[in-house]
Amino acid sequence: MKIEVKNMSAFYGKTEILQGINLEIKQGEKVFIGGSNGSGKTTLLRVLAGIIPHKGEVLVDGRDISSMKRKDAAKLIALMPQTSDIYFPYTVYETVLLGTYASAGNSFMSNNANAVIHAENCMKECGVFDLKERHLDELSGGQLQRVLLARTFAQKSPFLFLDEPGNNLDIKYRAELCDRLNKWSAGKTGEVDNTLVAVFHDLEQAKRCCARAVMMKGGEIVFDGNIKDAMTREMLMKVYDFDVASYVET
Amino acid sequence: MTKKGTGLKIAISAVLCLFILILAIRQGSVYISLKDLFGIIGGHLTGKGTPEGIEPMMDSIFWTIRMPRAIMAFLVGGALSMSGACMQALLQNPLASSYTLGVSSGASLGAALVLILEISIPVLSGFMLPFAGFVFGLATVVIALMLTSAIDKSVSNTTVVLIGMVLSLFVNGMMNLLSTLNADHSKQLILWMMGSFSARGWKHCAILFPVCVLGFICLMIMSRKMDIMSFGDLQAQAMGVDAKKTKILAILICALLTGVSVAFTGVIGFIDLAAPHVVRKIFGPTHKMVIPMSFIYGGAFMALCDLISRTLLSPREIPVGAVTALLGAPFFAYVFFASRRKRA
Repeated sequence: MKIEVKNMSAFYGKTEILQGINLEIKQGEKVFIGGSNGSGKTTLLRVLAGIIPHKGEVLVDGRDISSMKRKDAAKLIALMPQTSDIYFPYTVYETVLLGTYASAGNSFMSNNANAVIHAENCMKECGVFDLKERHLDELSGGQLQRVLLARTFAQKSPFLFLDEPGNNLDIKYRAELCDRLNKWSAGKTGEVDNTLVAVFHDLEQAKRCCARAVMMKGGEIVFDGNIKDAMTREMLMKVYDFDVASYVET
Repeated sequence: MTKKGTGLKIAISAVLCLFILILAIRQGSVYISLKDLFGIIGGHLTGKGTPEGIEPMMDSIFWTIRMPRAIMAFLVGGALSMSGACMQALLQNPLASSYTLGVSSGASLGAALVLILEISIPVLSGFMLPFAGFVFGLATVVIALMLTSAIDKSVSNTTVVLIGMVLSLFVNGMMNLLSTLNADHSKQLILWMMGSFSARGWKHCAILFPVCVLGFICLMIMSRKMDIMSFGDLQAQAMGVDAKKTKILAILICALLTGVSVAFTGVIGFIDLAAPHVVRKIFGPTHKMVIPMSFIYGGAFMALCDLISRTLLSPREIPVGAVTALLGAPFFAYVFFASRRKRA
């Protein structure tokens, strides 16, 4: 199973955000999407997940993502957005359980027992099981981020797209997140090798979690290859218009 | 919340609701004992007629006037509250209500046209006003949805709310113009718009009841999708819910519930906004609880408001819409802000 992108472009209104994107992501890969603010990373993730319209082709396992039913697409790809709007105070438990919607086949009144066990495991792995009765509006930013991560894992999809998952996490939880992602990436969902595609602003975290880098600038891919080759002073200078090496150890 | 705690709250709510419903039937210028009331109900349900010892006039007052009126108030309150809860979740807007897309202004325009042009269709006999209200209310929502889709393909919440507001204001303007040009019908129209359950009978209940059942079943089936939609369209899409399709379908169900309710009783505001929030405070935000409990709380509150509207200044009747707002606003503020203060 793989994701193929051919000559894809995406727009917000009339503004072209992505242009001429060609990309192939095979199952089992660990891909870092890098680039400065506004370079099109988030839009790329959303297009790949089939959430926003695009021109050109985005094929998942040979099928056009935009023609797939949302539930079928969500069974293959789980996307964790970088921000979350909380309008009503669901509990942590209720929120993570909702992540099983696409895969579990819950009836409208009751939850599938396996889905409940899976959701509880996801909560435990993301360190939020003890918070399960707390309401979302009572959590800190970091706790909320871990809840949303647990909900994304609960979706049980082989392709995991994370948009800045380290936001609001302290250094301990960032390290734990890396360990958790590496453990997940080494596994399978059903018969399919797990695939991680993540946007990070923390390059150290990106290096720890990913093997391949796709670097973006101005809505285009300017580098696609081994992450070690992306972390050179010249490449980072080109992508960020800033001497990153003078600021952090790359 | 534990299952036991939830069960207890449901049981207390059900008892309270039944108590209010019985109160709404018994209270008034003519009073009846519980025994006689159940005698009348039993007599009619079993087909035996008025029990011995009960005057036919009493039977008539309670069976043909009070009971259908109280049940109608209950059903309308329930329908409006269910659709209010749904709209708030779908539009991720705690201030959204069943009227957000212009059902009430559309229905009012329909009623105004019937009153002013004195339109009458023999087949509909006494149902002309509600029928026009329903058709125009639903038409307004359909136009709002079509405009929204044309302007914004993703049917985003901001566009839905803005189009609903713009269309409501436009239709209200048309109606105001019509009523100004036809001052003779203004009073009748204003009374209709303020809402009333006066002279509502079993035939009205017989139409609203299946609509409520249908709306309830559809919304319950969609309850998990509504939970997911509460987190925003983007997250809903990511989690496997077709946000656009779900939103359009749910809005049409809400329009049906609201349209039929408004058509029979006129525009009664506030309950659809307040009841779902009170329910969320008591039972939490999951819609498999919010939908049925909004129906029960909204229904009970409307029955209580109607009781007050017809008894407080008896024999004069206060518009029930005024009672819902006057009674509901402080209560809603108390429930909403007291629990916020406790949490802070």
